[in-house]
Amino acid sequence: MKSTRRDLALALLTPALAAAPPQNPPSPAKEDLLEAARAQLRTNSQQLAAFSLDIALEPAFQFKP
Amino acid sequence: MPPIADDIFFAPITELNARLKKREFSCQELTRAFLDRLEAQGPRFNALALSLRESAIKKAKDVDTELKRERYRGLLQGVPFGAKDLLADSDHPTTWGARPYAAQVFPEDAAVIKRLDKQGAVLTGKLAMIELAGGPSYRFARASLTGACLNPWNKSHWAGGSSSGSGAAVAAGLVPYAIGSETSGSILTPSAYCGITGLRPTYGLVPRTGAMALSWTLDKLGPMARTVEDCAWILQAIAGSDKNDPGSAGKSFYYAPQFVRPFSDIKVAFAPVDFEGWAEPAAQPDFRKAVETIRALGVQLIEAKIPEFPYGAVLSTILNGECGSIFETLITSGKVDQLDDAKQIAGLKAAREVSAADYLKAMRIRRLIQQAFAEFFYQYDIILAPARINTATRVSDPLDRPLQRTLPKDRGFSGLIPAGNLAGLPALSIPCGFANGLPIGLQLVARPFNENLILALGKAFQARTDFHQRRPPV
Repeated sequence: MKSTRRDLALALLTPALAAAPPQNPPSPAKEDLLEAARAQLRTNSQQLAAFSLDIALEPAFQFKP
Repeated sequence: MPPIADDIFFAPITELNARLKKREFSCQELTRAFLDRLEAQGPRFNALALSLRESAIKKAKDVDTELKRERYRGLLQGVPFGAKDLLADSDHPTTWGARPYAAQVFPEDAAVIKRLDKQGAVLTGKLAMIELAGGPSYRFARASLTGACLNPWNKSHWAGGSSSGSGAAVAAGLVPYAIGSETSGSILTPSAYCGITGLRPTYGLVPRTGAMALSWTLDKLGPMARTVEDCAWILQAIAGSDKNDPGSAGKSFYYAPQFVRPFSDIKVAFAPVDFEGWAEPAAQPDFRKAVETIRALGVQLIEAKIPEFPYGAVLSTILNGECGSIFETLITSGKVDQLDDAKQIAGLKAAREVSAADYLKAMRIRRLIQQAFAEFFYQYDIILAPARINTATRVSDPLDRPLQRTLPKDRGFSGLIPAGNLAGLPALSIPCGFANGLPIGLQLVARPFNENLILALGKAFQARTDFHQRRPPV
């Protein structure tokens, strides 16, 4: 069967694509980054909520007049 | 006098000071030599924020007059140093590595700069940093007014952050030492990545007056230098009470290696999985050798586990809560959009939304973390772990890309950086080998105010190895 120019180009291109280094994904949009930051805070909050604390436990800071 | 030889750029502080006293060169000659090198090479690595040539030469002249009169102030006298550009230096801009603050000038020097000045040290330059010391988070090494700081060992790789310029400048012999800062990893990371020695002191030991605040209850200032002993002498000079710093512990530090207990009495906790499973495969051989070198010093190396807490969530909540308040004006004015890193911008905006309930919960868990480590250090004296499990990232790679390998289920001491910072513990990063031509470092952590213990062990390690003496191809 006769190869077309398209077949030839594909045959040449495929190994080159396979050998190319992995590309970094495109940078996310600002709104996506803000939502991701908020999502991280929610995840933090959930992890903290899973911890039950003694009622007498004070925070790790003190006020001294 | 004959021209200063290149070996001076990699000499420890004690040697520089001795040669100044012997009049092998004057302080002005030494300062000019370092300034010429800093100004020529600093921009190659994006390590230099601002050269302070005029004021440095003036100071050097004063030091020469004192040396001539044999008015000796100590080991730091006449030795040049650099300061991370979050430390205020009067009459010069202190940029915090961030565009919105590029022109700000403070009327007074930071407390640590004043203390070093009193010792006769010569400030030659402000060193590059990640904008706002990294804020809640950032995605790329280029998150800085001065661009990505390049690693002197391989310029395709990052110097680490947020004390990036400090790490690169010391590694490349542009300054004998620098003062960096750490909120969570910012001294240890560039020290490990650049193959230098870095000391994160106990929280409150070194005054932060005149330093940019990122997180009031997490920020610490500390030395980054070529040797453990250099770090010890610098810490002695800068530590101490400061009534202007609400976080000051009111304690001083005296370097006293002679009073450290015999190594055979010292119990060092470690997790083998850190060095074998968590560490980057190419780094594992040198990490293994480093652990054996520590063992050969005669300490008791004991397998142990880190107290279990959600360190990441606790630290992130506290850091976000505090920096959201510190940078309130930056955020609400909209000037936060002038920063370089989009993730940093988003993080700061979101930081304003941390609830009081979450912040207080995190601070209560932090009390438990402190108590757990106090109990831990009844059983053990030091924790030994990798300073970083990987070598320096490629400059072009995002910093939050997941590791492309299977990680062990056993967490080992992988949470030690956030844990140590939450508990206010001192930590020393010492170079211990190479992986694919890039440095790796060990981390030694002790209970609060036990810097002498980790300094003694670190010094003994450096007596048996030469990684701290290796030089990048600058």
